[in-house]
Amino acid sequence: MLGELINLLIFPGFLFLITISFIYEWIDRKFFARIQGRYGPLYTGPSGVLQPFADFLKLLSKEDITPAACERTIFSITPIVYTAIPLIMLSVIPLNGRAIISFEGDIIFLMFLSAMVTLSVFLAGWSSANNFSRVGSVRAALQMLSYEIPLGLSMIGPAIVVGSLSLSKIVEWQIEHSAWFLWLQPIGFAVMLISLIAELERIPFDIPEAETEIVAGWMTEYGGRKLALLRLGKNLELLMASMLISSIYLGGGVQIYFLPPLVVLLIKSVIILLIMSLIRGIFARFRIDQVTSGMWSYLLPLMIFQIMLIQFGVD
Amino acid sequence: MSIIKWARLKSPWLIHFNTGGCNGCDIEFVAAITPRYDVERFGILLKGSPRHADILGVTGPITVQVAKRVLRVYKQMPDPKFVVAIGTCAISGGPFKDSYSVYGGVDSIIPVDVYIPGCPPKPEAIINGIAKLFEKIGGGNGGSNKKN
Repeated sequence: MLGELINLLIFPGFLFLITISFIYEWIDRKFFARIQGRYGPLYTGPSGVLQPFADFLKLLSKEDITPAACERTIFSITPIVYTAIPLIMLSVIPLNGRAIISFEGDIIFLMFLSAMVTLSVFLAGWSSANNFSRVGSVRAALQMLSYEIPLGLSMIGPAIVVGSLSLSKIVEWQIEHSAWFLWLQPIGFAVMLISLIAELERIPFDIPEAETEIVAGWMTEYGGRKLALLRLGKNLELLMASMLISSIYLGGGVQIYFLPPLVVLLIKSVIILLIMSLIRGIFARFRIDQVTSGMWSYLLPLMIFQIMLIQFGVD
Repeated sequence: MSIIKWARLKSPWLIHFNTGGCNGCDIEFVAAITPRYDVERFGILLKGSPRHADILGVTGPITVQVAKRVLRVYKQMPDPKFVVAIGTCAISGGPFKDSYSVYGGVDSIIPVDVYIPGCPPKPEAIINGIAKLFEKIGGGNGGSNKKN
């Protein structure tokens, strides 16, 4: 009982994951700055590693404003929901050799939760009673319609080969056969990476919070500790996405000689994070109609082609 | 120094507001956040929404038309908030001081923490002004007070 509680709350549970997610934000900002020929955060702790902590603490200590015109209950609850959902998703991923929660069909559970994240984004923007927020939330919902189906199919591809809808089983299968799904289903990997970037609302798919067009998108009215929670939720989502893709396609947490599974998983997910940061650094933003039509006319047919290849036994 | 004050000093987020200036100060302000000066080293980020920001950087004189809007943007920012007046116009109204359509400097509408003179001030001057603001937040034990 006590062991399970420690597993859930401290290591490798919530406290550890929140700390790691701050460090991931630092890696992301630093690498992004280096691509632009800058230094990035430098003076907050050793080479700026404490910068996300400082941002978080400062936002927590600020005044908590709830605008008069907004829908009070939904406006206050959505930041909590937005932070909680990625934490639940992270507990399904086998971190230290085994997941905190694992059952047959947890991939479906993950898909459901990733749709819930976007739903909470939509509610957050819609309840703010601000024109920019509303435009941002509608864009978030529209973007979900475009990436949700390729993302689901790219998670189903490995599940068909393994014959199980459990994330832990997929990781075990890759360890047993010592084969990564990246080499077996490269199209699926690319589609999943693109769809996850769209879900994370990062450049080139940061349309729901396009700074140059709609102020801060669906986050416009949030300030103080609500914004702190939203930023924490975004970091956790980034951590979850990079760990999910490295679990499904890069073999996940494996014991390599003396390296424990958690360290291997962290290394793999940092590589995914760096790829995402590189894409953030070298692309400009798409328009929403380009994303919708592009996802439906290129990503979805590609993914269906990949599923057909699996069905014909080419893997 | 308490940890909250440390966090406040290490993560100041800016919002930029032009109240009717000639765009000279704005160009210098934008130049101050380019990769050449890279203020993200100090944790400074430019934010679009006043709800996210800590420091309001105002350029230009307060015209009659914009006064209400500046006040509204200022009220939308969550406490603790700071105001930096950038350029001669924002300090006193500059060449438009006694115009029929101008109230004067930013301090005729909202309290100002730091004044950065210049027409327009250089990016270095703007960064220096924000560093002065840090000293003010941190309790005034910075470089300029040690001389006296």
